Amino acid sequence: MINEISKQPSPMLQTNNLTKRYEDGVLALDSLTLEVNPGELFVMLGGNGAGKTTTINLFLNFIEPTSGEASINGIVTHKEPLEAKKHVAFVSENVMLYQNFTAIQNLDFFSKIGGHSDLSRDDYRDVLNRVGLAEDAHNKRLKGFSKGMRQKCGIAIAILKDAPAILLDEPTAGLDPKAGYEFIRLLDSLRSENKAILMSTHDIFRAKEIADTIAIMDSGRMIMKEPAANLADQNLEELYLQYMAGHDTKAAG
Amino acid sequence: MLSTLIQKELKGIILSPKFTATFAICSILILLSVFTGIREYEAVSDQYDSATSLVEQELQDESNWGHMSTRSIRKPDPMQIFVSGLTYDIGRWSHVESTRPIKLKHSPYSDDPIFAMFRHIDFVFIFQFVLSLFAILFTFDAINGERESGMLKLVFSNSIPRAKYLIAKIIGSWLGLILPISIPILLSILLVIIMGVPMNAIHWATLATLIALSVLMFTFFISLGVAISAWTKRSSVSFLLSLVIWVMFVLIIPRASVAAAEQMVPVPRISEIESIREAYANDRWKTFYDISEERWMTSSNMNEEESEEERDRAMWDNMVLEDSLRRIVEIEIEEYEVRLLEELRQRKAGQERLAFGFSRISPSSAYQLAASGLAGTDIEMKDRFEESMSQFRSSFVDFTEKKQAESGNTGGIMISISTETGIDIKDGSDNSALDLTDIPKYEQPRRSYAQAFNSTIIDFGLLAFATLLMFVASFIGFLRYDVR
Amino acid sequence: MLKIIIEREIKDIVSSTKFAVTFAVCVILILASFYVGAAHYNLNKQQYDASVAENLRQMEGLTEWYSVRQHKVFMPPQPLAALVTGISNDIGQTADMLAGSQVITEGSRYNEDPIFAVFRFLDLEFIFQIVLSLFAILLGYDAISGEKERGTLRLTFASNLPRRTYILGKLIGSFAALSSSLIVALGLGCLFLPMMGVPMSGDEWIRLLIIAGSGLLYFGVFLTGSLFVSAMTQRSSSSFLLLLVAWILAVMIIPRASVLTAARAVEVPSVDHIANQRSSLASQLWAESRDAMTNFKPDIDDDDPEAMMKIGSMFSQFMDSLGTIRNDQMSEFSDRINEERFNAQQIQQNLSFNLARISPSTSMKLATSNLAGTSLELTKHFRDETRAYHKVVGDFIREKTGMNPHGGMIIKINDGSEEPEPIDPSELPSFEYKPIRTATAINAALPDIGLLALFNFLFFTGAVISFGRYDVR
Repeated sequence: MINEISKQPSPMLQTNNLTKRYEDGVLALDSLTLEVNPGELFVMLGGNGAGKTTTINLFLNFIEPTSGEASINGIVTHKEPLEAKKHVAFVSENVMLYQNFTAIQNLDFFSKIGGHSDLSRDDYRDVLNRVGLAEDAHNKRLKGFSKGMRQKCGIAIAILKDAPAILLDEPTAGLDPKAGYEFIRLLDSLRSENKAILMSTHDIFRAKEIADTIAIMDSGRMIMKEPAANLADQNLEELYLQYMAGHDTKAAG
Repeated sequence: MLSTLIQKELKGIILSPKFTATFAICSILILLSVFTGIREYEAVSDQYDSATSLVEQELQDESNWGHMSTRSIRKPDPMQIFVSGLTYDIGRWSHVESTRPIKLKHSPYSDDPIFAMFRHIDFVFIFQFVLSLFAILFTFDAINGERESGMLKLVFSNSIPRAKYLIAKIIGSWLGLILPISIPILLSILLVIIMGVPMNAIHWATLATLIALSVLMFTFFISLGVAISAWTKRSSVSFLLSLVIWVMFVLIIPRASVAAAEQMVPVPRISEIESIREAYANDRWKTFYDISEERWMTSSNMNEEESEEERDRAMWDNMVLEDSLRRIVEIEIEEYEVRLLEELRQRKAGQERLAFGFSRISPSSAYQLAASGLAGTDIEMKDRFEESMSQFRSSFVDFTEKKQAESGNTGGIMISISTETGIDIKDGSDNSALDLTDIPKYEQPRRSYAQAFNSTIIDFGLLAFATLLMFVASFIGFLRYDVR
Repeated sequence: MLKIIIEREIKDIVSSTKFAVTFAVCVILILASFYVGAAHYNLNKQQYDASVAENLRQMEGLTEWYSVRQHKVFMPPQPLAALVTGISNDIGQTADMLAGSQVITEGSRYNEDPIFAVFRFLDLEFIFQIVLSLFAILLGYDAISGEKERGTLRLTFASNLPRRTYILGKLIGSFAALSSSLIVALGLGCLFLPMMGVPMSGDEWIRLLIIAGSGLLYFGVFLTGSLFVSAMTQRSSSSFLLLLVAWILAVMIIPRASVLTAARAVEVPSVDHIANQRSSLASQLWAESRDAMTNFKPDIDDDDPEAMMKIGSMFSQFMDSLGTIRNDQMSEFSDRINEERFNAQQIQQNLSFNLARISPSTSMKLATSNLAGTSLELTKHFRDETRAYHKVVGDFIREKTGMNPHGGMIIKINDGSEEPEPIDPSELPSFEYKPIRTATAINAALPDIGLLALFNFLFFTGAVISFGRYDVR
């Protein structure tokens, strides 16, 4: 496997016994340990409340871990959040962006706060072309954009940040098949740029299509983690339901 | 980095559709208020001019120094264009004469109650009611609105310190809202210059301070909106909350505190005080007349010869005596009155302290109090004018009395009834014009800029403190804000 | 079907946080305004009674009616005026009955106690005007566009529901839910009046009822107006912005601006101008009297032992007749120029108010102040009342002393033979102020109430029509 050959000593995204218990007592994440290496696309599968978004929120230090730690490029996020975030780009589930700004203006703002103040309009155009946003939409306000168009802007922002790690929270939810396909191709090209990509999704088929590693989450626990190659011949949907059922009986027992 | 964030805030405000609407409204309102204020000022200035020339004419028509009276008139001040305050509620002029104390009467609103129905709009009104509302409307969702659109997550997936983001947010919204209102403000200053309002250096300094004060008040409401949005998760909640707070601050607290003070410190009405004074005066005069009657009666108990002798001997002395006693009674009544009024003033001052102390919970009323204090249209205004008019009254009365003594003309009507010549009636007027060259002229009360400014220091400080408090609240709220 | 929509609407409103918060604020404010009004009335009544008593007391001990130098009457406080202050605090509330031939009302409350002029009163009318209208907008701005944004509109019209039924249900439901809660608040507020011992006559209760009704109508204008705007806009944020601008214009700007413009269009002679004319006439008349006086030669026999007394009384009579002539001339002149000013003011007033009535806020204000008897009419009414009383006092003094109370000069020769009796101030007829009659007040308020109803109807129809064309997607 290519990934195994190029595997580097330190993973880009890493959690170690990461646990999050909310104030109301809900255990959202239960000692999660995972690693994502550069050039690896790690997909977290799971239903609502499985802990996928909590994991991403912990990586971004939007919440503090109860115990354990998450690190980006070896930097523990809740200790040095600002330093850690320099190395990560984020695409959220429903990218709203600034509705009164044009696509270019949004890109301009986010690339500047992402630490790239040297980019020109041409760079923005290039990246928007790369993500497949039609030329005539570049200077339009985002108000009239469809979800797919906004998602393209969101990924363009992530690309512009040029960070070694990318976190994606349900990025394909609500996209039409064509947009979903284009999105997956983009991820593929980002992986080939040696980015470490962590994506959460409900979408089993896309996961199987693109992932290097697939993990199934349920109730804050990672109940399965396998290289996608090992699952190539299996029906992932069946496997998913099987795991969930098994976990449920375990939890019940 | 900071400048990028600020720029984004600024752009965000300027590009929003509500910005255009509010900007247009603010511009129209500010210009309208200043324009109507200037017109109103011109009208009252004309009225003042004609009234003063009439007063002079009346003095010139006088033919006798005895019991001469005049009127002192409150001169309009250009600052009332911006802060009308109590200008229209307080009397325009007072009688100046020896027998009656100074009392401002004929307030512009009582003369033309139609204007009282809806009152005037001035610069301070626009800031206090409209701009404060707009400030809140632009900032109530500053933080939680961004959370709802997921922007906070996106922004904070970058290495941006929260404090920096919040500072940029506040500075950006501040600039975004201040820049547009500064345009109509500058235009209205231009209007003041073009329309030839007589502004002196003090006026300009006061106006500059007023603008600074207004900007401070505006900043408070901006920071209030930001603070509320940094403490609430949903913008619909913060919207409701900020609107309720706005209603409380701007509309309710000021009025409620006056109502509370009215109940807690009862102050008698001036009419009651006047009647008490009148009762005292009646009493004093009655005693006076009784005594003087008795004195004259002593002669009537004598036989004709004795009485004539007594009269010739004592008449002049009696008259002199009576005159000096009369003076004493007058002085006594006046002293009594001064005491009564002083007591009333004390009570009123207590009531005011309480009312305004309460009302200062609301920065909006602190602003109004400071603005009217600056412009000299505050609650002290009446006292200030009545005091200067009282001073004028005493110098005027002294002068006319001195002149009358010099001229030897008693004035009034002299009726002599004699058994020989029958009745002879003369009135004291000698129909020749009086020499009015040295007559005291009423000087409008003067306030230096320092005095005007000093009266506002507490409110300035309160506003600044409240603003700071809101900043701190925003920071505390935002540093622990859940951006998810 | 309509019933279901109405029920759903009521439930939806009553269970919302927005309703709970705004309703709580409204109830507190309405109750506060009633409480403050009642307390203010009671205090005012005390002060009024004290002023009247002091005014009579100062006459005690005087021995002659003509030596009473001051007899003042005051505008007695009215319970309704405490709830709707109108201009009652702006106009003169005191009149001196002995100062001269002309009754001048002066001493406005705001001039005497400027503390109240700083922030003014927290009265019911103010709560209606600002708070109710603002809350009506708040509760109505997203009635249609909000449902669209949430997607419930599409869902609702997936059934075979006629649009008209839906919008009617919405209008009726929201008005019913909100106005019934306001009625409860107003009812509770009214309880304060008897509880705090404010005497209210049956007529006053009727007036208060109509005041509350006008308040509800006014609330209805803003509610239907909000629904109308909401049914015209696609997004709730734009409907809110539009409504807010309309609110600022209607409540704060249009009334003031139109009065200012219209008032400037009609020339009304200033009070100063009139005072000047009067004072010049007065001095001219006085000069004439003076000439007549100096030529006074009584036809009397010098040897008459009673000559002195006779001359005195003849001179008194002479002065009296001069005074009467002067008086008549003065009052005729005053009446004429006051009439002129009054007419000009009427024209000015009609023009300004008609222009200002573009804003329902004006209509509400005019209707409630007319009903409370604190409209501009109060100036004239109080003046008329004091003038009528002035005549009564004049007659009384004349009867008591045989002299014209405004003759300006009194000669009394006391030979010391009898001890003068002190006067009894209670003999003086008291000032019975009659407020503006209920029928008159209601008649004056009717056009504005009608206008408010018309606004309701227009916005209602507007909402129905524009919802018929609304894009529910």
